[in-house]
Amino acid sequence: MGFDLARKGFLAIYAAIILLPLSIVVYTSFKTSQELFADPFGLPRDPSLANYSEVLVGQDLATNVLNSVVVTGISVPLTVLLASMAAFAIARIPGWPSAFVFGAFLIGMAVPAQVNMIPQYVLFRELGLTNSLTGLVLINIVVTLPIGIFILTGFMKTLPKELFEAASVDGVPPWRTYANIVMPLSLPSVSALSIFLLVIHWNELLYPLLFITDPAKATLPKALLDFKGEYLTNYPLLFTGVLIASVPMVVAYVLLQRFFVAGMTAGAVKG
Amino acid sequence: MASSGAPATTGGKEPPVVAVAAGVQSQLPAAVKRRRRRGATRAPASLWLFLLPAASLYVAFFVIPTLQAFQYSVTSWDGLSSDFEYVGLDNFTNLATNDSIFRTAVVNNLEFMVTVVVLQTLLSLLLALALLKNTRTSVLLRAVFFFPTILSSVSVAFIFSFVYDPTFGLANTALQRIGLGSLAQPWLGDQNLAIYYIGLIQVWFHAGQMMVIYIAGLQAIPAELYESADVDGVSRWQRFRYITWPMSSTATAIVVAYTTIQSFKAFDLIFALTGGGPNNATEILSTLIYNTAFQNFQFGYAAAQSVIFIFVIGLITWAQRRAISRFQGEV
Amino acid sequence: MSTTPVPGLSRRHLLRFGGIAAAGAGLTACAGPGSTAAPEGSAAPSGGAGAAGATGALSFYHWRAEDQGVFDEVISSFVAANPGLTVSQTIDPSDQYQSTAAQRAREGDVGDVLPTFRGAQFEQFVDNGIYTDISDQAYLDNYVPALIESGARDGTQWGVPYQLVFNQPLVNVEALEAAGVSEIPKDWPAYLAMLEALRGAGYDPIAFPGADIGNAGQYISTMAMNTGPSDDMFTRVEAGELAATDDWWLQTLRQFQEMSAYFQPNSLGTQIDPAIALFAQGRAALLASGSYHVAAARQAGAEFPMDLAPPITSEPGELKYEGVYNATFVLGVNSASEQQEQANLFIEWLSDPENAAVYANGTSQHLTVDGVEYDNEDLAALQPWVTANTLLAPRFQFNNLDIRNAMENSLIAVVGGDSPEQAAEQAQGIINEQLGA
Repeated sequence: MGFDLARKGFLAIYAAIILLPLSIVVYTSFKTSQELFADPFGLPRDPSLANYSEVLVGQDLATNVLNSVVVTGISVPLTVLLASMAAFAIARIPGWPSAFVFGAFLIGMAVPAQVNMIPQYVLFRELGLTNSLTGLVLINIVVTLPIGIFILTGFMKTLPKELFEAASVDGVPPWRTYANIVMPLSLPSVSALSIFLLVIHWNELLYPLLFITDPAKATLPKALLDFKGEYLTNYPLLFTGVLIASVPMVVAYVLLQRFFVAGMTAGAVKG
Repeated sequence: MASSGAPATTGGKEPPVVAVAAGVQSQLPAAVKRRRRRGATRAPASLWLFLLPAASLYVAFFVIPTLQAFQYSVTSWDGLSSDFEYVGLDNFTNLATNDSIFRTAVVNNLEFMVTVVVLQTLLSLLLALALLKNTRTSVLLRAVFFFPTILSSVSVAFIFSFVYDPTFGLANTALQRIGLGSLAQPWLGDQNLAIYYIGLIQVWFHAGQMMVIYIAGLQAIPAELYESADVDGVSRWQRFRYITWPMSSTATAIVVAYTTIQSFKAFDLIFALTGGGPNNATEILSTLIYNTAFQNFQFGYAAAQSVIFIFVIGLITWAQRRAISRFQGEV
Repeated sequence: MSTTPVPGLSRRHLLRFGGIAAAGAGLTACAGPGSTAAPEGSAAPSGGAGAAGATGALSFYHWRAEDQGVFDEVISSFVAANPGLTVSQTIDPSDQYQSTAAQRAREGDVGDVLPTFRGAQFEQFVDNGIYTDISDQAYLDNYVPALIESGARDGTQWGVPYQLVFNQPLVNVEALEAAGVSEIPKDWPAYLAMLEALRGAGYDPIAFPGADIGNAGQYISTMAMNTGPSDDMFTRVEAGELAATDDWWLQTLRQFQEMSAYFQPNSLGTQIDPAIALFAQGRAALLASGSYHVAAARQAGAEFPMDLAPPITSEPGELKYEGVYNATFVLGVNSASEQQEQANLFIEWLSDPENAAVYANGTSQHLTVDGVEYDNEDLAALQPWVTANTLLAPRFQFNNLDIRNAMENSLIAVVGGDSPEQAAEQAQGIINEQLGA
């Protein structure tokens, strides 16, 4: 009895710890900075959408939303495509060559971004890929290929050999096997990976920070960070930005919660 | 003729793939099957083409830059000039003996990592235990606790820079409201403790994600074990210690490993929150490398720091793997 | 893409850079009417205001997002007087600007006219040849000579510092009156007495943004200006001639620790915006930052008259300087630009007192341009400081950021309770590493 009370108490406290800051963020977005400092936790006395129009139009965050959508919308499918093709090859090619290639990709997961970010910066600079969404898509794909290949290869290796052999005997070319047999079967793995990549690419900060200086080309996390530089710490504006930046993820989460959980944990379990 | 029938141990629900394969195989002509048994599996050359796009991008934009990092690390390049000097191992000797900021960053990284790993593992396990049953409230709370993990680190950084504000923020004000105002802190202004306070943020951020892993692991423990334990009348603590904890060792291994890697990747959070300050109190290796390169214009020196970074991560990963396999072995 | 991974410019870039330099030289040689061809390619000729026929699209690259609207005003009058020219603004956040402006400028694709922060960034630009020599430009005469010295090196003028800021605490004049303080103190005992009186009147005497070193660190200039060994003391610290463990700095730390008793509670965790809020709400009497926050304080709701109250650390009668100033936003011409003359036309426009007044009053900032009429109330109230006995802020003598951080952090450390000796030793330890490195 006492134990159950303790359990409920613990859950209630933790729920408050999670929800309090989040709810403050929400209703602060309707206040002005003056109001906030005068009464940090009170509800807005004169709620207004002024911050929203300032952020979306005045600060042009709408453009940044668009940039994030474009970059993520292209990075995720392309990464899945390239990773699945590579995983297909690795799973199907026997012997040490494919084991070697697999290992090479795996090492990529252990190398932290800060190690090669400086040469990558110089390389992108020389190639003129800084300040371009193309550059962002490219680097997104490159750094998430290892985890994608790891997850998908792991899955594809569980597909029985007979499946492939039957297909090759029947004269089905590899790309058909890939497209019509393997990919449909890999759907659970692919969808988990897609969600995982969705969250990672959408929230990516380091590469936009490195490569993008033009505010019109920035994605949401970078744009938010720039707010902090420009607006010192005008919390209502910052929080409005946070909300706008999070809405797409939140909506997706509410609708696809099960996939989110599967995806984020697949990334963790395998990573 | 051997046929791969449906394995009996998957608990009755076999993946459709296996059934299909079984079906396909049973229809193949005998001649084909014989040929196959003689090991005539060849990989068509076109399979290698599948590897090409991924591999070429990876080599060009990942492998080569990593090697270049090693090259830069033996220069004194500032990232801007067209000339630079090779300085041999000077950067490395300097880092090892003459750079207290670097040492501070390493220590901070370790303090952060240990705090986060211990707290996050513990908390996520407790949450999972508390929300094990699939009641409606549990499912709802699980969704709530999981939520922070999908936010961007910048968002979390902003939220907590407000929470931790000593004059207007949530933390000190809440302490005052419940009568513990004397405990009010400068929080991130306290150079000794700031890194730990950031560790708390990291736990807030990702405990829910680890909780889900634990739930999966805990729910896989067969109910019969608990039932027979109840029959024997064991206490709650004994149930945990002798059944729950050992049986969730895989989940623990996963949680610890992933949390460690995640804590090394906390660049985004710390950069957006404090940038490594005040006075390098929250500087970790990743933020130090970034600041050295892009604020101090010391690309060569920063590259040397990043080379050491790889080794530190490698070392910790290796040490952890060993500890985990021993842990799992004992359990 | 170079075949061997080599840091720095590839051959392709060297060619491109050389091409631009040659083109620039060519252009200046055959510039429009009223100009004189310069013997060397890098010195641009001075043209008359509104040289008829000047055409081009100028890029003005800077970091002051908050000034964009006002610059637009100045630009539209410039364009009206020079119909063949257009000016577009490219603005990066200030942190970003400090990291990447040099690189972007060198590529030449942005910033025909571009400013630098006084100090390390300006040095970087000059060292790397990013600025064009403007020593012969007529518009230099529009400036107060002493105030543009920091844009010159060894007799050559590379840029004009445009903004004039006073990096010392703002004070709420009404609070002073409420505390019975009639004039800004001129020595240390009087300064402490003022803080004590403010506390007695119910204020947090000083709102200190301890978590924001960019603002908190400004104190390094005012605390040392009257009691430091020489005006170039921090250059000497960076050269190893002076040490943080010397008596003068220990005394500074001791005095700073005394003053920190008057900061708001838990000040080390306070960011700049909450500090401004404390000040604007009238809860704190002083704001430890600078005149560049006047506009922000007004926006945060401050309605009281403001003045500046720098800490005077000397004993009565030993005052050397009443305060510090900084001349920053050093405007210059990009040497990689193909529009040298047009760029100078724009700077010339900004140097005209009437146009400068538009900018100054619109953004509540003082300028180094001579003869500007400040009709903004706050600017007018602070105008006496423009001609007061002030020292060019020593903080910007630091070129090595690690050394500067070390010194400033010793101030922060004593606020946190470290003894001056401890804090000084720690700072000097880092400085020694940097010097030995």
